[in-house]
Amino acid sequence: MTEASKGISYIRLIRTYGTVMAGLLIVLAFSLLSPDSFATVGNAINISRQISFLVIIALGATLVMAVGEFDLSVGAMASMGGVFAAKLAVAGYPMVVVVLLPMLAAMAVGYINGWIVTRFKVLSFITTLAMGTIIGGINFKITGGATVFENIPESFLVLGQTELGDIPLLSIIMLFMTVLFWYIMSHTAFGRKLYAIGGNESASRVAGVRVAFNKNAAFALCGMLAAITGILMASRLGSAHPNGGDGLFLNAYAAAFLGMTSFKEGVPNVWGTFVGAAIIGILANGMTILAVPTFMQDVITGCIVIAAVLMQKMGRGTA
Amino acid sequence: MSLLRVDGLSKIFGQHYALSEVSLDILPGEVHALVGENGAGKSTFIKIVTGVYSPDGGTLRWKGQPVQINTPGDARQIGINVVHQDRHLIPSFTGYENLYLGLSYPKGKLGVGVQWKEMKQRAKALMDTYGVTLNMNKTAQRMSPPEKTMLEILRAMMQECSLLILDEPTASLTDQESEQLFDLIGKLTAAGTSILYVSHRMDEIFRLSDRITVFRNGRHVATVNRQDTDRDGLISLMNDKEYKKAHREERDIRAGEPVLEVRGLHSEDGKVNGVDLQVRQREVVGIFGLAGAGRTELLETVYGLRRKSAGEIVLQGRTQTSTSPRRSLDQGVVLIPEERKRDALVMDMAIRENITLPFLSRFSSGWKMRKRAELQESERWMTDLKVKAAGTEQPVGQLSGGNQQKVVFAKALLSSPKLFLCDEPTQAVDIMTRDEIHRLLRHQADEGCAVLFVSSDLQEVLDIADRLYVLHEGRIVVELPNKDVTPEQVLAYCFSQGKDRVHT
Repeated sequence: MTEASKGISYIRLIRTYGTVMAGLLIVLAFSLLSPDSFATVGNAINISRQISFLVIIALGATLVMAVGEFDLSVGAMASMGGVFAAKLAVAGYPMVVVVLLPMLAAMAVGYINGWIVTRFKVLSFITTLAMGTIIGGINFKITGGATVFENIPESFLVLGQTELGDIPLLSIIMLFMTVLFWYIMSHTAFGRKLYAIGGNESASRVAGVRVAFNKNAAFALCGMLAAITGILMASRLGSAHPNGGDGLFLNAYAAAFLGMTSFKEGVPNVWGTFVGAAIIGILANGMTILAVPTFMQDVITGCIVIAAVLMQKMGRGTA
Repeated sequence: MSLLRVDGLSKIFGQHYALSEVSLDILPGEVHALVGENGAGKSTFIKIVTGVYSPDGGTLRWKGQPVQINTPGDARQIGINVVHQDRHLIPSFTGYENLYLGLSYPKGKLGVGVQWKEMKQRAKALMDTYGVTLNMNKTAQRMSPPEKTMLEILRAMMQECSLLILDEPTASLTDQESEQLFDLIGKLTAAGTSILYVSHRMDEIFRLSDRITVFRNGRHVATVNRQDTDRDGLISLMNDKEYKKAHREERDIRAGEPVLEVRGLHSEDGKVNGVDLQVRQREVVGIFGLAGAGRTELLETVYGLRRKSAGEIVLQGRTQTSTSPRRSLDQGVVLIPEERKRDALVMDMAIRENITLPFLSRFSSGWKMRKRAELQESERWMTDLKVKAAGTEQPVGQLSGGNQQKVVFAKALLSSPKLFLCDEPTQAVDIMTRDEIHRLLRHQADEGCAVLFVSSDLQEVLDIADRLYVLHEGRIVVELPNKDVTPEQVLAYCFSQGKDRVHT
């Protein structure tokens, strides 16, 4: 009988920390393959900067997934945040406006996403897919299809390019956001309600949780996080492309799904998402150092996401 | 020779024996009832016999031969089928499509097109065999509960089925609907099929079964012939303690102020069609109606889950301008929903998280959940209601049905309610939990609460209610003080209403 219980806890350990362990194995592998370039403090800092965009946008995806919905417009909203902020900066608005206005705009779009989903009971998948298309069109209209880069003031570059000592401000913002949303999701009544809705919407409604209000809030926050990502990217690059953030969208969900396989089994969670994004970022970084062609990088990253999810399913099957 | 013979069957979960050396045999063509409190091991037994779980010890013999049942497919292969209390039908599929779920559709010559004609003929033959009339063109979501149960039984009979396991088949059926099911069971056994019948309802068990097996705490206690025992004997086998027979207690009712007054209530979907009623402090008021009478809908409209289109709801003298679950809870109204899994609990969440969900603000100091206060409060209610669980952090989904329902009540009691709206609160719970729930509601009423109690089990309504309303087609047809009322009288009201409607 002790054998059996040991077996079960072993499986549970793998299910809970398997993804983290896999991440550590990946780090170990790259460190052995490329001790001089990969396994350095400088590169670790570099990775933390590279994953900051993905982590922040994936936090938004995690929030919406926690209430059992999807927001497929996050990529377009990130692009919008970048383009909108860059335009405002070029037009000479003060930095507060440059940062806050796009965030509020994206919150509004997110709220509309939520409102359509909750008010008319439309699948969020479809609603946000269409919203992404709309936003994408608007992005092109605003920019005329061109990258915004001329006359961007120095002040706009502060967020993305400042380093405090050796640590990029971007990495600090990312960590701050992760801790903030971890706190919100696991230590506030709001976070509890989001998880309750995701767990059983109908029972939450009976328990007096205002389902629509809280879902809308999750969508709005998701929009805000996407816009922040876009603003930071534009600030880092010193330019904003009308679909510059679109590429983050799939990776954001890959990170969130990887995250669901860690810590809280089968539930979207903030630290899980962080680990997921880190794994994706570390893979990209390490493979670039090893000069793996881009197409192979995509193939390998995809395979690892599938493997992680499969591993968890298999763990469940034997229990 | 027995059809299925089980010897020394054991199943261990963690450190705990869910089943311990259970032996049982089922004879061909018999109705064998399996009874026991929730957590006695009935479900585990069924899952082993149907290949969902593998046993940790013991042997199974099928028609005399040793057999291994490793998957549900194996079980169906040899002829064991199960119909669960949670239905396994695809809502958007028609009866025919559901009937052929998991079977290969009859194909045309090319092996591509489905031979609908053949499908229909086979379904018709099956229905004729067992004397069932069902409109198989209807989708499952449009079928009534008994129709769905019939459909599931028919599906089980599509293949060679020698042992049919019925797990609480009447849980969501009214008495009158259950009759149809009992007819069908009679025909099945006459054709040689054995039935393993799991139910909490004593009258059904005594009416249907040939032999009765009692499980208690994962052990086989006894297998008795029906004629050798009675209700009290069976209940004492199920329980260690001497069981006190539940019967109606005359309560000293000094009904106080009205807590709930409903006048001319209509729901937007027309399911509630002009209801007037009143519930006062210290009163337990029953509502009885046949299926489709609008029982659940009435409670949901009062609670604010369903929109009202007309009428007045007055809570403790305050006329409600609008209704929502939040408003109801804040004014001390709680709903115990009929569908526990769907509407009452978040199965993956801890007991603590479920109990505190309706009143999170009480456990939140501005920006932070006060987990210690949450823990204390949940522990208190779990002890109070004797919830059997590993602790406050155990996910609710891992508890037995009766304990889940206790969590639902703990959650309700946390809000110090003034009015209970109970929709089938004892559905699919064991008889001890059922009594505990009845006692609890009576106690709450004694303390000054008002209780509105809906059940499809007429005897239960008569046992617990001080006063009762009979509901028919969304309307109250009669209000009766519960003094010397017989089930026959109440049913007469339900049925006579039906006839009136035919005449008009």
